[in-house]
Amino acid sequence: MTKKILYALGGVALVFGTWGFFDRFVAGHANANYGSYVVWGLWVAMYLFFAGVAAGSFMMSTLDYLFEVPLFKGTGRAMLWAALITLPAALTSIGLDLGHMERIYKVYMRPNFFSVMAQMVWGYTIFGGIILASLVVAIRFPERKKWLKPLMAFGLLFSVFLSGGVGALLGVNASRAYWHVGLLPAQFPVFSLASGAAMMLLIMGWFAPPDTRRSQQIRVLGLLTVSLAVVKLYFLWTDFSQSLYGQIPHNVDAVNQVLFGRYWWAFWIIQIALGTVLPIILLLHPKFARHSVVAGWMGLLVLFGFTAARANIVFPALTVPELEELRWAFSGPHLTFDYFPSLMEWAVTIGITGGATIAFLLGLDRLPIFSSQPREVTQ
Amino acid sequence: MTQSEEQKERSYSSTRRDFLRALLGVGGAAAALASMDRLMANPEAILEAINRATGDQATAVADFPFALDPTDPPDVLLRMQIELHRALQKRPEERRWVMVIDLRKCVGCHACTIACVAENRLPPGVVYRPVLEQEVGTFPNVTRTFLPKPCMQCDNPPCVPVCPVTATYTNEEGVVVVDYDQCIGCRACMTACPYASRTFDFGIQYVDNTPMGNGTLLGQSGVAPMELLPVFEYGRSRERVPHHSPIGNVRKCHFCLHRIKEGMLPACTLTCIGRATLFGDANDPESLVAEMIASPNVMRLKEELGTEPRVYYLV
Repeated sequence: MTKKILYALGGVALVFGTWGFFDRFVAGHANANYGSYVVWGLWVAMYLFFAGVAAGSFMMSTLDYLFEVPLFKGTGRAMLWAALITLPAALTSIGLDLGHMERIYKVYMRPNFFSVMAQMVWGYTIFGGIILASLVVAIRFPERKKWLKPLMAFGLLFSVFLSGGVGALLGVNASRAYWHVGLLPAQFPVFSLASGAAMMLLIMGWFAPPDTRRSQQIRVLGLLTVSLAVVKLYFLWTDFSQSLYGQIPHNVDAVNQVLFGRYWWAFWIIQIALGTVLPIILLLHPKFARHSVVAGWMGLLVLFGFTAARANIVFPALTVPELEELRWAFSGPHLTFDYFPSLMEWAVTIGITGGATIAFLLGLDRLPIFSSQPREVTQ
Repeated sequence: MTQSEEQKERSYSSTRRDFLRALLGVGGAAAALASMDRLMANPEAILEAINRATGDQATAVADFPFALDPTDPPDVLLRMQIELHRALQKRPEERRWVMVIDLRKCVGCHACTIACVAENRLPPGVVYRPVLEQEVGTFPNVTRTFLPKPCMQCDNPPCVPVCPVTATYTNEEGVVVVDYDQCIGCRACMTACPYASRTFDFGIQYVDNTPMGNGTLLGQSGVAPMELLPVFEYGRSRERVPHHSPIGNVRKCHFCLHRIKEGMLPACTLTCIGRATLFGDANDPESLVAEMIASPNVMRLKEELGTEPRVYYLV
């Protein structure tokens, strides 16, 4: 039933998204609301989100294939599949954000390896290859399991590197006080792990077949999610308290934007209340802690909270003018420090999410994701 | 004004009128005046022409108030023009183009912004040189300050290392440029720039959503072709066509390199009515800009970042 509903929702999202893709390809960036001041918008935030989920899902798959934790045996393929779906979703999101996405080959032909972005593009290419290879080995050649170990070890390194790279992508901008903190690249691997744990909670809670270990798995994943949520809260506290205490105007303005600005609700309601506090409460509650459906919902809520969290990292730093008078210096489309995604941007994001959802479900239905036998055998 | 000063002023006015009459009487010089760019491209020739023209009527120029010696021209524009030609004789790497903006002379007319828009055919939402305005003080001691802000052409540009495809780089003359054919439009350089000196070309036209006006100069049919005329940035003619560069690219001030190459000053410098914007080769110790940036009242924006901007402000 859950799958049917998700298929339907994914289909509707994909149809709506098709209009967004059409508009994006015909009119280019003209109908986007990001601009020359708020340079990166919803698509960049969603790239951070999906890339985090991909890296985190891979991290969680190592519990099965690298560390061989008995409790999580048999969960590796589902997490690899989640990583394989969310990575292209991330790259589609950031690809559509490019002014000339058809020139992406130039990053391979004439890369500037001093650029974090170039490192990321190469990194994602290798990481995507590792995920695909790992999944192929896990599904088609389960008897050659020893091949998986080096793949998973490299993949784990890449997932940490790429997560940190996302933080560095923002953090290297020395002129943006809100981003330019050494802790940012250190935080992102933790965020990725938290996304992966939430994704696993969702998958195990809603889609995994009945298993005697399921209740225990969900309990452990719940505790991991809660622990990482507490770490996330601590990171938020250190970031915001230091910024406010330091009184550096650009930093304070950005933090105030998040806490009390026009989109305060995205922080307080989505990121904190729904995405952090409610999951902590329910996942610790003895009545719900081992409940599969609740666990799935909590995983979804944590992921939903992460979308707001990514947006709250990207947008506020850009809505603070480099020079205050720029607000009024020159008028024109896309020259504003206010940002809310346009309908086209929402459509594209919803379409990508819908497409990823359907692709993920198709994989669950058509591939031996939860079966311990290769496909040929099960058939 | 004293009596002698009044006489002197009258004498200057009279000789100016005579001079202008004389000048207008000479076809070649008059034709040259018709095109400011052409005129400015060769100041020595202009001065020669003026002298030749006025030499025919010696009385008209006898009391001409300005020296017409190319080494001591009457206007900073002419001086900068001569210095520009001198700099162009050198190898590119020996030049150090800098811009000096005298904030005491800027009247906030925005002519530089408009000249830049016209020169580079900038579409809506793309601006290379906005003028920042600020009201200072409280009544009755209130004033407005104006700060023209082109690209700072930093010696340590934060925008360059973040580019994943080396589409933006410092050229041999020290100007930070964008290779439109290489740029993938990721806008990482825009987030890195501490001065918000880069804007993205979203592909918007001024006539978008305006009525058609067939057979007239108004509306899309009349004006759109104007907007589609090629741009000449970086010395290459390039038509602005959807999905092709410069649409989808990051764009920025480049000190009008295409004009400099042809021996012309940047459009903003030439247009500044208060002569507040100066341009030249700081490696030439005789240049106006070299003189100006040695003054004690010079400053640069956000110096604490260590970006070493090549745009200086006189305050």
